[in-house]
Amino acid sequence: MRSLISWAWLGLISSIATADSNLTHESRNILPSAFSPPKHFRNVNLVRNINLEKSYPRETINVVIENIDKAAQNEYYIPFEQGSLGQIGGLEVVDKKEAEKKGFKVDVVGIDPFSTTEYYKITLPTPIPPKDQLTLSITYFVLSALSPLPREILQTDKQYVLHKFSAYAPSAYTTVKQKTKLKLPTTDVPDAVTLPASLNAEKKEDPQKQGTSYTYGPYSDIEAGAVQEVSVRYEFTKPLTHSKLLERDIEVSHWGGNIATEERQWLTNRAATLKNHFNRVQYQQSSYYNPPTSALKEMRFPLVVGSVDAYFTDDIGNVSTSRFRTNKKEANLELKPRYPLFGGWNYSFKVGWNGDLQNFLRKVKGGNGETFVLKIPFFEGPKQAEGIEYERIVTRVILPEGATNVNFQTTLPLISNTTSLHRTFLDTLGRTALTLTAINIVDELRDRDLIVTYDYPSIAKFRKPLTITAGIFAVFVVAWVLGNLDVSIGRKQEKGKKA
Amino acid sequence: MAVDTAVPGADFFFKGESGRNTRGLLRLLILVTIAAAAIAARLFSVIRFESIIHEFDPWFNFRATKYLVNHGFYKFWDWFDDRTWHPLGRVTGGTLYPGLMVTSGVIYHLLRFLTLPVDIRNICVLLAPAFSGLTAWASYLLTSEMSDSPSAGLLAAVFMGITPGYISRSVAGSYDNEAIAIFLLVFTFFLWIKAVKQGSIMWGALCALFYGYMVSAWGGYVFITNLLPLHAFVLICMGRFSARLYVAFTTWYALGTLASMQIPFVGFLPIRNSDHMSALGVFGLMQLVGFAEYIRHQLPSKQFQTLLRAMVLVVFGLAFGGLVLLTVSGVVAPWSGRFYSLWDTGYAKIHIPIIASVSEHQPTAWPAFFFDLNMLIWLFPAGVYMCFRNLKDEQVFIVIYAVLASYFAGVMVRLMLTLTPIVCVAAAMALSQILDQFLVASQPSEPTESTKANGNANGNADIKDKLAAAIPESLRSTKAPLVGIYSYLSKSVITGAVTAYLLLFVLHCTWVTSNAYSSPSVVLASRLPDGSQHIIDDYREAYYWLRQNTKEDAKVMSWWDYGYQIGGMADRPTLVDNNTWNNTHIATVGKAMSSREEVSYPIMRQHEVDYVLVVFGGLLGYSGDDINKFLWMVRIAEGIWPDEVKERDFFTARGEYRVDDEATPTMRNSLMYKMSYYNYNSLFPAGQATDRVRGSKLPAQGPELSTLEEAFTSENWIIRIYKVKDLDNLGRSHQEAVGFEKGNKRKKAGKRRGPRTLRVD
Repeated sequence: MRSLISWAWLGLISSIATADSNLTHESRNILPSAFSPPKHFRNVNLVRNINLEKSYPRETINVVIENIDKAAQNEYYIPFEQGSLGQIGGLEVVDKKEAEKKGFKVDVVGIDPFSTTEYYKITLPTPIPPKDQLTLSITYFVLSALSPLPREILQTDKQYVLHKFSAYAPSAYTTVKQKTKLKLPTTDVPDAVTLPASLNAEKKEDPQKQGTSYTYGPYSDIEAGAVQEVSVRYEFTKPLTHSKLLERDIEVSHWGGNIATEERQWLTNRAATLKNHFNRVQYQQSSYYNPPTSALKEMRFPLVVGSVDAYFTDDIGNVSTSRFRTNKKEANLELKPRYPLFGGWNYSFKVGWNGDLQNFLRKVKGGNGETFVLKIPFFEGPKQAEGIEYERIVTRVILPEGATNVNFQTTLPLISNTTSLHRTFLDTLGRTALTLTAINIVDELRDRDLIVTYDYPSIAKFRKPLTITAGIFAVFVVAWVLGNLDVSIGRKQEKGKKA
Repeated sequence: MAVDTAVPGADFFFKGESGRNTRGLLRLLILVTIAAAAIAARLFSVIRFESIIHEFDPWFNFRATKYLVNHGFYKFWDWFDDRTWHPLGRVTGGTLYPGLMVTSGVIYHLLRFLTLPVDIRNICVLLAPAFSGLTAWASYLLTSEMSDSPSAGLLAAVFMGITPGYISRSVAGSYDNEAIAIFLLVFTFFLWIKAVKQGSIMWGALCALFYGYMVSAWGGYVFITNLLPLHAFVLICMGRFSARLYVAFTTWYALGTLASMQIPFVGFLPIRNSDHMSALGVFGLMQLVGFAEYIRHQLPSKQFQTLLRAMVLVVFGLAFGGLVLLTVSGVVAPWSGRFYSLWDTGYAKIHIPIIASVSEHQPTAWPAFFFDLNMLIWLFPAGVYMCFRNLKDEQVFIVIYAVLASYFAGVMVRLMLTLTPIVCVAAAMALSQILDQFLVASQPSEPTESTKANGNANGNADIKDKLAAAIPESLRSTKAPLVGIYSYLSKSVITGAVTAYLLLFVLHCTWVTSNAYSSPSVVLASRLPDGSQHIIDDYREAYYWLRQNTKEDAKVMSWWDYGYQIGGMADRPTLVDNNTWNNTHIATVGKAMSSREEVSYPIMRQHEVDYVLVVFGGLLGYSGDDINKFLWMVRIAEGIWPDEVKERDFFTARGEYRVDDEATPTMRNSLMYKMSYYNYNSLFPAGQATDRVRGSKLPAQGPELSTLEEAFTSENWIIRIYKVKDLDNLGRSHQEAVGFEKGNKRKKAGKRRGPRTLRVD
């Protein structure tokens, strides 16, 4: 039990839930439409970093907050425009000074059709006394934020993407001093909106350029909710891979000592579409010197070491262009889609592999000896240098038949969890299946674990062999009875005479 | 039995009641092993490639099965498919044989009921091998009815299990009607023989039931519909009419015809189509003969008998005349074109090019018989001869079947399939006879020999007695000749030879299956220089591209060969497909392909075509491409529009079909030529472009397209997809628009330059 507890504290933000059968928990509460957060805080100093090196921006806001209320407060709000909230993912908040400690509880509030602004509510573990300060580090990703401009390019052209954002960090409170730093992947930046120097606190040129980093600000005394729209356009000749849905099944078999994983992906490339159609000649010629391209040509899945039997198929069968390298140190699955994915093209596929259950499952010491702990990655998916964003991930953990008392915990923000029964392979009751859904996830979070605990009585193991034995026995009995029935019409043959 | 002197304990296992059980168990084990071997032999393609549906027609069956599984039986029955034959659509539910799909659907739901999550694709892929195991069992049953030898049935089962003639249509992935139809064919014949032998209504009804199943599964049911009446007819003509035959035939005909009429695609054909009239005629004849027999039993007068016989003939003649009249007046449908092509192999080529264009409808080449049947082909006549030695009702059936099927197999490659079962049965009978003679270790003894001869042949027994009475005393030795093999040497030589032949047969079957019949044809395999296998997967690359990156209802125009594959893999509407029900529509596509762009474009616009797909093997040397099939498109189009498309125009003055510099202007301006070679030049250094299939150098100037634009070309250029351009925004013709884009000035008449003159400064 001790190990379980230590794992529980491992997470940054832990969401613990006891899953009842066939119940869906949605972790979103709805506030009255006229809601606006009380102005208990003031942002003393705010530095926002926007990292644009991948196909999705990662924003980190380091902010010193101060309680200006008379009472101690523990609820801090971050506003987002309606619509853009649906693109925000993986929002995590930690105390900057004690980053190793677990993160704070974060909720989305105010999904309301009439208000234009929605909020993330951060619940601080200990209320801040008046006049006291705290440094928060808020990290999140913005999905589908980059849009290629021009929208159509030639097959061998460079691609430029446009990122629109506000020079002022989103805040529900007055900010005394703030600036926004951009980290671009290249120095090829044709357009960056210049703000008048009068806005700048130091009356300097805005933005400040230094190599691949641009800085907007500093600005002083910005009101809550103020927006200053700016945009940058920069070269990004890489695919903007977007996964519309990732379904992931993990099947645990105690009998076979096996853990089978299958991932089904629906990918699309958000990059600029081809102005003329796809030209095979150009593509073949360019493949010799391999220039950067906005087409997705290859994907790499670094799997858990010890994974075996990998397969790569799609709706019409096996895709032969894959390689699976496996040795004692690594298990890499390298996939090539059937065709290179240019902008606007889609590709859906399925990959799967097996693993040794011993590496993932542990029996809990003490207790009644029938409690197990399963530790698996929440999702795996390809790991690309330019990144992949996931609109929705549905992970289903299929536990053995008869598993009860299922608990789980993960550090990824979930939107729903369900426990149901899944009947397969001669099941009588059906296996306990835990379905977890997360939205707006990026591939940087692919190492996050999912820990599932469940009770599996040893008697449940024998359910299936007994059922099958009984079934076969029943078939024999029925066959014997039928074989002894006399269904002949006409007069009965005399006994002793053989038919 | 033979080894009496062996282990004393062996008696328990080989004699009496438990001996029978032992033999039964052994037989069961052998049959199960045979079935396993039959299934294993068909798995080459799954092991070498993957679990995939093969070729063309199976893709439709697979798609239909998925529809059945997803939408239920009634929806399937009423299925109107608007994604094929655009814009006509196809009443699919009423124009297919549902047996195959329903079989897979039932298996699927059964497995689902047992909560076994087997993919419908795997059921479809493995259905044919599974049924081949059943076919082996069915031919065991059939042969066991024919021969007294215990080994004949098992040999027939082995032959049926691995003979390439049957494997060719039943490898894993070959999900076609024949997959289950051959089992049903053999099993129906077995039930028929059983019914005729026993005169049992139960067996007759079972025969009708399986006949109904067969009708629901394959158009080849007509073979049964004609063979059984023919058998009955021949038996009547031989004076072997009996109550058994009457019961068997009438039961089968009445129930079987009703069963067959339940299939929408067959409907009223059994009473309105010439193909089925022989069954009806024999049914009528059977009643007359039965009536006559009845009267004969009542009235012993000889004159009356002759009168009756005459009457029977008159009635039969009248019925036949009436049938001819009905056919002429059109009440009964005349023979179909496919039927005529069975009698005249040149018929299809002249009248129905679309039938002739399919390779499996060509007449069979002689080596094909040896290729598909190996040593069975020379055992086959021997087996048929054995039937004459002991000619009972069921042996007559073998003889008729053998004669008919041999003829049909000679006419069409495809009908080799119906010949194969009878070849296996006959060959097994011949071989079992040899083995039974030569494998007996003990010496034959004289008295048993004569009793054996009597016991063996009931039919011939009385003839033999008569013969014995007629032969004078001095020739007594001929009455009961001393026949037997006494020498162990000859026994071992013959046994050894037969064993060698059988082993060679297995070797041949495995080789043929592995090399000729196990390619999915959707996926091509080649060898890399280091000997490893390289998969060429262009078809699926392009089909999947279409599936993922085009509109859900984008219409794809291609030659009909690829219609089913596009429907199954790309899931896009097509204009024509392998169900060639509308010749005009196919000819329209042929015309669009073989005409100039100016002619083709309006045709494509009228049919709302979004994409055009062609198969081009020039880069890889893949010979099954569209340029090689092009002449059939031209011929089929010419059949409808003889004034606009002429086959002659595609040949050079010397009658050659060329694609290089000397190709005719019609050829070089045809849409197919342009689509095949568009942009192909730029892959090579200037003037070096070669077509590796035709082995010719292409013109230095590649073709230009104005109404289409290249949308996708697969990795090895096998599939090329073109998008049909929308109308020009400025109302120009596409040729003008393309010319403008290229910066060509309009050619203006006049303003001629004067003759060049030497400039003198």
